[in-house]
Formats: sequence, structure tokens, C-alpha cells
Amino acid sequence: MIEDIRCPICGSKTTIPTSKKGPNIGGQFHVCTRYPECKGKVAVESQNGNIVQAADFSERTYTSMAIQASGLVKRYSEEVLAVDGVDLNIEANTVYALLGPNGAGKTTTILILTTLLQPTSGSASVVGLDVVRKASDVRRRIGVTFQEMILDVELTGRQVLDYHGRFYGMKKAQRKAKISELLALVELEEAANRRVSTYSGGMKRRLELARGLMTEPEVLFLDEPTLGLDPQNRASIWDYLRNLKEQRGLTLLLTTHYMDEAEHLADRVGIIDQGHIVVEGTPRELIEQMGSDSIRIAGQGDGEKFIEEVRSLSFVQTVTTGDDLIQIGIDSGNKRLPEIVSVANNCGFVIEDISVTKPSLSDVFLKYTGRQLRDK
Amino acid sequence: MSAVMTLWGKHMQKLRIHPEEAFGMVIQSVLWVVLFGIGMKSLLGVTVGGGDAYMTFMVPGIVALTAMTAAVGGGLVWLTERIMGIVKEYLAAPIPRISILGGNALSIITKTLFQSIIILVLGVLIGATGNLDPLGWLGGIVLLTVYGLGFAGIALAFASKTNDPGSYHMVIFLFTLPLLFLSNALYPLESLPKWMEICARLNPTTYAVDGMRQTFMDSSVASSGGDYIALWICFVVLAAFAVICMSLAYFVFKRSIR
Ligand SMILES: Nc1ncnc2c1ncn2[C@@H]1O[C@H](COP(=O)(O)OP(=O)(O)O)[C@@H](O)[C@H]1O
Ligand SMILES: [Mg+2]
Repeated sequence: MIEDIRCPICGSKTTIPTSKKGPNIGGQFHVCTRYPECKGKVAVESQNGNIVQAADFSERTYTSMAIQASGLVKRYSEEVLAVDGVDLNIEANTVYALLGPNGAGKTTTILILTTLLQPTSGSASVVGLDVVRKASDVRRRIGVTFQEMILDVELTGRQVLDYHGRFYGMKKAQRKAKISELLALVELEEAANRRVSTYSGGMKRRLELARGLMTEPEVLFLDEPTLGLDPQNRASIWDYLRNLKEQRGLTLLLTTHYMDEAEHLADRVGIIDQGHIVVEGTPRELIEQMGSDSIRIAGQGDGEKFIEEVRSLSFVQTVTTGDDLIQIGIDSGNKRLPEIVSVANNCGFVIEDISVTKPSLSDVFLKYTGRQLRDK
Repeated sequence: MSAVMTLWGKHMQKLRIHPEEAFGMVIQSVLWVVLFGIGMKSLLGVTVGGGDAYMTFMVPGIVALTAMTAAVGGGLVWLTERIMGIVKEYLAAPIPRISILGGNALSIITKTLFQSIIILVLGVLIGATGNLDPLGWLGGIVLLTVYGLGFAGIALAFASKTNDPGSYHMVIFLFTLPLLFLSNALYPLESLPKWMEICARLNPTTYAVDGMRQTFMDSSVASSGGDYIALWICFVVLAAFAVICMSLAYFVFKRSIR
């Protein structure tokens, strides 16, 4: 049966077959990318990318969350608690970055969300589908690139994409069209018929990105997408990723231990440390709470007294310490510098190093974990 | 099913990229047929009827060795994909887990049959007397497939367990030669000491070889004088062998992808 149906948000009309499924599909919502006016809001239910039934928003509680997790725990062994109660609510059509040092539990979280690992406890869903109970449906609708480069280097770039499409049951013509589109996107057309073993690191990463997009996923997971790449290649990957979100309405969850990557790319950042998300927000929110400027001081002497005195100053917004570093969030660094120095002198605190910087996510990280996040 | 075929296609493509790998394995068997066959023919000719009879007797044994080596070696593809992490691409795809095992088993069987048939044809060319009934060959291919599946199972189980290609190669060696010598592949069962005969009767290779002598070969020429094991017993024993080993592979494989 063919029926005219309206997208409940944008009102645009489409003709769809409704015979396959009734109205009760149980929370499988599709991001309305066909109707740009909807701006990625959830509008219609779908199955395998075909619109099946418009959702009635007045009577349903629906979720526009592309990724949800609550109380996610993964314990590898008695000693290793890799993920320790992670909650996530990631809206559709956003870029979310999990920022944290090595061993924070980022990869483990990604593996759970992409159905490769079962959580010890807690639950998670992707596009409204439970990652444990509906694993196979989830797999159909996501794309992944893993932290390590995983490529059959004996094959050509084109073959890598083609086999990937075949595993997802794509038809030949469909694969062909998609491959040429993606090769153009990641600028690998010339290298497409060469063996992957002849590719540079950046080319391999771009090929992996294309592979992740091959099956038109709604959500793309990227585990450290620019790990080990030089600045130029990183910048081009960032460009592709930003475009994906804006032009294709994708939801992106990426992990990184580069704070500039999170700052550049993400709409929202979750800082993860020792299996917890310690703080979450837009990069701006997170940075602004640190004050508009930040003074970093290293020195010797009665640090505690000094910190106490500094805290009592009216213009000081935050004081954080860690790794022998005192960090003061302040309204205007240059103006207040002399005052801070004189407070230090009065307390007998000997300054060895002092600098004024604009706060960054690494300062946020320091504040919430007491440790520095170093780019390796 | 399409995932099995896709994986199979990918493995075949890799084989085309590295034909020397398959080629090297065939060479080994070719040397067996030519050197060992000709040497033994002059040495043992009398005991087993003389002339081409020994060739006819021996070629199924070498075919079994070829099949065993090819099947066990075929597990290396899976081991490599596991070590390189390519298995994650499969695990993230919406395909049944068992199709990964199935695709591997299918590509192993393909290589096994391909190499075995080369040796068979070569054996016939050199002087073994083949069976003129095509049904016999069909039966032989079934026997070979089931026999190969058994070793594919052992190979896939081991390749799911280890992370070291070096120890894998060791196993190929440790496995194949004793299984060849402790069977009826090179000499008649009746001529063996009692303990060896018992070993041989517990060895699936014996049933594969005896079955092949009755199917691929002219059974009257391949005969060593003693009685053949009934063909249906060969089928049943080998089928059981295949089922047990593939189940083992599935069990170990399941645990390895957690
Ligand atoms: N397969 C595993 N078995 C045991 N421990 C693991 C395994 N994978 C990761 N870990 C441990 O879990 C913790 C989190 O690891 P991971 O999720 O890889 O962090 P990240 O990706 O943030 O670097 C680390 O302490 C790591 O050593
Ligand atoms: Mg990681």
C-alpha cells in the first residue's frame, strides 16, 4: 500500500509504502535528513533507511538522542575497571568529543556503543536501538573507524571499500556510485587502484573514513581519528568531519586526547578520566567557566597560604592546582598580574615561572582531574 | 550466506595476489609424488604388486597429505586477519558471527580441493591407475571435502587461540608428518606393527586414504592385498571427524571474539 504522508515537523509530503510495518515500530526513529527544514530533528520512523511511518509527536514520548548511555560499566577483570558509570546523551546531528588521556576508557566506551563489547552493567542505545539486544540493527546503521588502522593492505583502496559494501549487502551499482562519491570526498581518486600498502598514514586514515561512510551511517564513531597524523593531514580530516555533520546531517562521536581537536571540532565535549565523565558541555562553556584569562604559576614556598590569599581576591574566579602548578582564572590577566605577584611576595612564595594564557580545555582538564592532559 | 561468499571472494582475491603461497604448498606434494613415489616403486614394488600399482596405492596418501597441509595452512589467513585486527571490521558489520567462520572454512576447502586435485591428476599422469567411473571421483571429492573440513576445523580453532604465526607453523609440521606416517598412506595396514596399526586405525587419514583408493583410483590396482575398509565406514568416520573439529572451531572462535 502506498500512502501520502507528511513529516510532522516540516510538513513536507512524501509517498511511502506503509504495508511493511505497522505504526508500532517501538522507538526506531529516523533523523529527518530528507527534509532539510527539519534541521536534523527526528521526524519519521524508518526501517533500513526507508521511511515507513511518520511519528506522531503529540502522542509519543520520543527521543531525538542519537546516542544514549546510562550507567555504563565495563570491568575487564578484578583490577581493571575501564569504564565506571558513563552517562551520555548525544543529540542527533552534533559532533561530540570524548576527550581524555590514554587509558581513560574512551576506546572501551566506543567498543560498547558499536556492539563489539558487552557492558558489564548499564545500558546504551544508538538511534534508539539497544546496543546489546538490537546489536544487529545498530550495526546496520552506524559506521566506525577504530583507533588502530585496520586495513587489508594487499587490496587496493577501491577493493577495500567494495568489500565493505558487500558485507553490508549493498548492490553492485550502489557500491560503485558510493565508492566514486567517497573517493572524491576524501581525495583518493588517483590512488584508488593502488594497493593500500603504498598509502601514507594520512591516506590510510582517509580511506578508513571513506569506509566508515560507505554504508550511509546515521551515526559515525571515530576512535582517535587523527592519531599519529601530521598537522596537515589532521587539518584535512577535521575539514571532512565538519562537512559531514553540516552537509549530511550525521551524528559524530569521536574520541581524542588532543584538546585542540576537541576544541575545533566538537559541539559538545565530555572530559573522561579513569572511566568517568568528569564534566561535559560545549567547549565554550567549559572554557569560560575558567575565567577569561588564566595565570599559571610554578614556584616554591608556602603554596597553601598563597592560594588562600589569592582565592580571597575579588577578581579571581577559580584557583586550581595540580602537578606543581597553580592556575588562576581571572577576568584580565595582564591587568592583575602585578597584584598576584605582590600577594605571592607577601606570603613568601617564590615564583619560578609565571605566564598569562587564554584558558583552554587542558585547563579545564586540570581543574577537574588535578592532572595535566599532555599531548603525546 | 552472502557474507560467507563475500569473505570467500576476498580470500580468493588475496590468493590471486600471492599465488606463490599456494604454489609453494603444491610443490611440496609434487616432490613427494615424484621422488618418493619413484623411489618407493623400485624398493617396494614387489610387496604391493609391482609397477604402477604402488603409484596407484601411494597417490591417495600424498593427496591426503596435500589436503591436510593445505587445510591446516589455510588457517593462517584467519590468524593474520585476527592479528591485524581486520576481524573488527567483520564484527562491526551486520553479519552473523558464524558466517565469518563459514567464509574461512569455505576458502580453506576451496584451496584444499584445488591443490589435491592437481596432485591427483599429476599422480595419474605419472602412472597411477585412476577410476574410470566419474561417480567414483565425485565420491572421492566428497571424502576429500569432509576430511579437509576436519583439518580446517582444527586449523581455525588453533588460529583463534594463538597470536603467534611462528607457533602456528610449528603445529603444521608437528601435525602433518606423524599423521601421514601413522596411517596406511605409505604402507599397507597389515604390514604395520600392532601398535602402529592401532594408531593408524584411530587416524582419520587412514579412512580418507582408504576411501580415496576406492573412489579416485582403480580399487583393484590400488589394493595392497588386504581388505579395504568399507566405503560407508570411511564416510561416517570422516563426517564425524569434520563435525567434531568444526564444532571445536566454533566453540573456540566464539570465545575469541568476545
Ligand atoms: N582487552 C582488555 N583487557 C584488559 N584491560 C583492558 C583491555 N582493553 C583496555 N583495557 C584497560 O582498560 C583501560 C581503558 O582502556 P581504553 O578504553 O583503551 O582507554 P583509552 O581508549 O581512553 O586509552 C586501560 O587501563 C586499559 O589498560
Ligand atoms: Mg583508545
